[in-house]
Amino acid sequence: MKQIFHILKYKFIAYVKFENRFQLYGLTNVIKDISSFLVYAGFGIGSFFFTKSIIKFLLVDIKVGLFLLHQFIAMVLFIFFVAVNIGNIIVAHSTLFKSSDVTFLMAKPVKPSQIFLIKFLDNFFYSSSTLFIVIISVLAGYASYFHIATGLFLVLIIFNFLPFILTAGTLGVLILLLIVRLSAKFGVKKVIYFLVFLYLALLLMFFNLNSPVKLVNSVMHFYPFIDKDKFLVNLLPSFTSYLPSQWLSEAAYFISTGKFSESIPFIIYQISLSAGLFLFTYFIGKRWYFYTWLLNISLSNRRRIKKNQTGIISFQKQSILKPQVEALLKRDFLLFFREPVQVIHLLVLLVLISIFISSVSEIKFIGQGNFYLQTSIYLSFFLFNMLLISTLSLRFVFPSLSLEGMSYWKIKSSPVGEVSLFLLKMIPPLIVLMIISSSLGIITNLSFGFEFGLINVVITFISSIAIFAINFGMGGIFVNHKEKSAIRIASSQGASITFLFNIFYMLFIIIFLFDPVSSYFFSLTVNKPFNVHIFYVPLIIIITMSLLIIYVFSKFGYYALSKDF
Amino acid sequence: MLEFVNLTKKFGDFAAVEQLNMKINKGDLYGFLGPNGAGKTTTIKMIAGLLSPTSGSIFLDSKNLWENLIESKTKIGYIPDQPYLYDKLTGKEYLYFCGGLYNIDKKRLSKKIDEVTALLNIGDWLNKRTEEYSQGMRQRIVIASSLLHEPEIIIVDEPMIGLDPQSAFLVKKIFKEYAKNGITIFMSTHSLNVVEEICSHVGIINNGHLIFNDTIESLVQLKSRKNNNLEELFIQLTNE
Repeated sequence: MKQIFHILKYKFIAYVKFENRFQLYGLTNVIKDISSFLVYAGFGIGSFFFTKSIIKFLLVDIKVGLFLLHQFIAMVLFIFFVAVNIGNIIVAHSTLFKSSDVTFLMAKPVKPSQIFLIKFLDNFFYSSSTLFIVIISVLAGYASYFHIATGLFLVLIIFNFLPFILTAGTLGVLILLLIVRLSAKFGVKKVIYFLVFLYLALLLMFFNLNSPVKLVNSVMHFYPFIDKDKFLVNLLPSFTSYLPSQWLSEAAYFISTGKFSESIPFIIYQISLSAGLFLFTYFIGKRWYFYTWLLNISLSNRRRIKKNQTGIISFQKQSILKPQVEALLKRDFLLFFREPVQVIHLLVLLVLISIFISSVSEIKFIGQGNFYLQTSIYLSFFLFNMLLISTLSLRFVFPSLSLEGMSYWKIKSSPVGEVSLFLLKMIPPLIVLMIISSSLGIITNLSFGFEFGLINVVITFISSIAIFAINFGMGGIFVNHKEKSAIRIASSQGASITFLFNIFYMLFIIIFLFDPVSSYFFSLTVNKPFNVHIFYVPLIIIITMSLLIIYVFSKFGYYALSKDF
Repeated sequence: MLEFVNLTKKFGDFAAVEQLNMKINKGDLYGFLGPNGAGKTTTIKMIAGLLSPTSGSIFLDSKNLWENLIESKTKIGYIPDQPYLYDKLTGKEYLYFCGGLYNIDKKRLSKKIDEVTALLNIGDWLNKRTEEYSQGMRQRIVIASSLLHEPEIIIVDEPMIGLDPQSAFLVKKIFKEYAKNGITIFMSTHSLNVVEEICSHVGIINNGHLIFNDTIESLVQLKSRKNNNLEELFIQLTNE
C-alpha cells in the first residue's frame, strides 16, 4: 500500500507542477490551460441550463410526463454506460499494456497487482474526466429543476452516479483482460470481430425490445395520465429492471419526487454491483495482469511477422498523380489500414451509422399530430447525425496532425509546399466525411418535402465541413507529435475540449433550426402549405457562422503544419 | 556554398544560437563540434528548414535559404540525430515515399534505391517493416533516404549514434567519398576522433557562439602548441 501511495504521490506531482508552470510551459500553454478551464466551465454551466430547459420543454411544452422523461433518461444512461464501457476497453489497452509507465514500473520491485490498481485508476479518471463534467452538470440541472436538496444531490452523485460509471469502467477492464487471454488462443482479429458483433447485437436487441418509438406511442394512449405510476411501469420489458441505467433513473425519479426511502433499494443495487465488480476485477487483475501483459507483448510481436501486400497502393506502381501527392496519399492510406485499431473503430462507427440509417425511415411518423414532439424528434435525429460526424471527426481527424509524429522531420525538410501538404491532409478525409454526412442528410430528409429536405441537406453538408474544420484546427492547436496512439490523442484533454466545441456548434445550429422546423411541422399538422422563406434568415446565419468557423479553424491547422518542428 | 550571416535563434529570452557568421565551401567536410546544448542541432535544423531563424540569414549558393525554401530543400540532404521512421512501412516503402517527396520519377527512383541500398548494405532488410529495425538499421535507412535525390549538401546531426563499428566505418567512408566528389557535408558530432579522422574544416560552438572556425590542420597545430590532446583542447576551449 505504501508503494501505491508513493507512486500516486509522484504521479500527482508530475500532473500538477504548480511551482514552475510558467517556466516549464511558457505563456502560450498557460493561456491554453486557462482557455481549457474556461471552456470546461462554460460547458458545465451551459449543460446545467440546457438540461433545465430541456426538462421544462419536455414536461411543460410537450407534456411527455415523468414516466417517459425518466425512461428517456434511462435510455440515454444506457448508451452512456456502453460508451464508457467501450471507451475504457480501448483506453485501458493503452494505459495497462502499452504505456511506458508500465514498462518502467514492471522493471522495478513493484507487484504487478499494485501496478494494475494504479493504472486502473489512472485509466478510469483519464478516460472519464470530460464525461464527469458533463454528467455532473446535467445532474445539477436535473436537481435544480426538481428542487432537490444539496444533500440528496450529493447522494445522487456519490452513491448512484459514481458507482454506475465505475461499473461501466470496471467491466471494460475485465473484458479487456479476457480479450487478451482469448486472443492468445483464437487470434486478435477473431476475438475483436466477435466482440464487435456481440456489442452490436446487444445494442440492436436492447432497442428492439425497448423501442423508444413503441414506448412513446403506448404511453401516449394513456394521455393525460402519463406521470409515473405502477401501471405505466408494466409497459417496460422486464429485463430493464436488471440494468444499472434503469436503477439510476429510478433512484433519480424517487429522489426528485421526495420519496427518498423508495430510492434506497436502487442505491443498494448500484453500490453492491459496483463494489462487487471492482473487487472481482481486482482479484482477476491480481492473478491475470502480469500474464496478460506478457501475452500482449508476444501478441504484438506475432502481429509484426506478416506479409506487406499492398496491391494497387504499392509505392512501386506507376500512377497519374504527381510523385509528391502520390507519396503522401499512399503513406496515409497504408499507415491507416495497417493500424488494426483504426480500422476496427472505423468499421464500428460505420455499422452504427448503418443502424441509424435503417431506423431513420420511421422519423416522419413518430409523434404525428403533436408538432412540438415531431420537431423535437426531427431535431434529435439531426443532432444524432451531427454527433456521428463529430465522433468520426474527433476520432480520425483530430489526431491526424499529431499522427504525423516525430517522423514529420522528413516532410518538413523535403521540398513539399506547406499549402500542398495542408490540402493533402484535409481534402481526402473531408471527402470521405462529406460522403457519409451527405448520405445521412439525404436519407434523413428523404420522406419530407423537396424544399425542406434540400435546405436541411445543405445545412448538414456545411455544418459537417465546419465540424471537420473544428476538429482539424483543434488537432493543430493541441498537436502532440510524441504520442503515437490515435486513441490516446482522441481521448486527451485537447480532444475533450474539441468535443465541447463541437457540442457548442451543434447547439448553435439546433437553436437556429428550431423555429423554421417547428413551423414546417405545424404546417403539416394543420395541412397548410409550408412557407419556405422562414428558413432564409437562419440559413444565412448558419452558413455565415460556419464559413467563419471553417476559415478560422483551418488557419489553426495550417499554422500547426507550418510552425517550427 | 553555405553561409551564415548574423544567424540567431531565440526561444523566448533564451538565445540558442547568436550572431553566427561562417562560410562553408563546396566539397568541404565540415565538423561542427560543441558540448550538449551548445546550439548545434538548432543550427542544423535552421539549415534543414525545420526551425526558422529569429534573425540573420542562411545563404545556399548565394541565395537566401529561407526566401527560396522549396528550391533550397531540393539541394539539401538532412540526416537527423534520431532516426524516426514510419513503423508500419517497410524500408523499401519508406525509401519510395521519400523519393516521391522530391518528385523523383519512378524509374530513376527505383535505380537510385538499388544504388543507395547497395552502398549502405541494407538490401536484406528492405521488405521488413521498420518497427523491426535496430537503431543502427534505422540510421542507415535514414542516410539512404537523404541520398536519393542526389543532394549538393548533406547536413548530418550526430551521424554515429547507434551505429556499430562496421556501420560507422561505412558511413565515414561514404562521407569522405561524397566530399571528394564535390558534395559539401556539414556534420555535427560529439566524436572528436571522427572530426580528426575525416573532416577538412572544424567549427566549435559554445553557448550559441562560434568560438573556433578553421581547417582541421589549424586545430591540430593549436593542439600541438598547447601540448594537449584533442579532448583536452576541446574542454579548454569550451570552458574559456
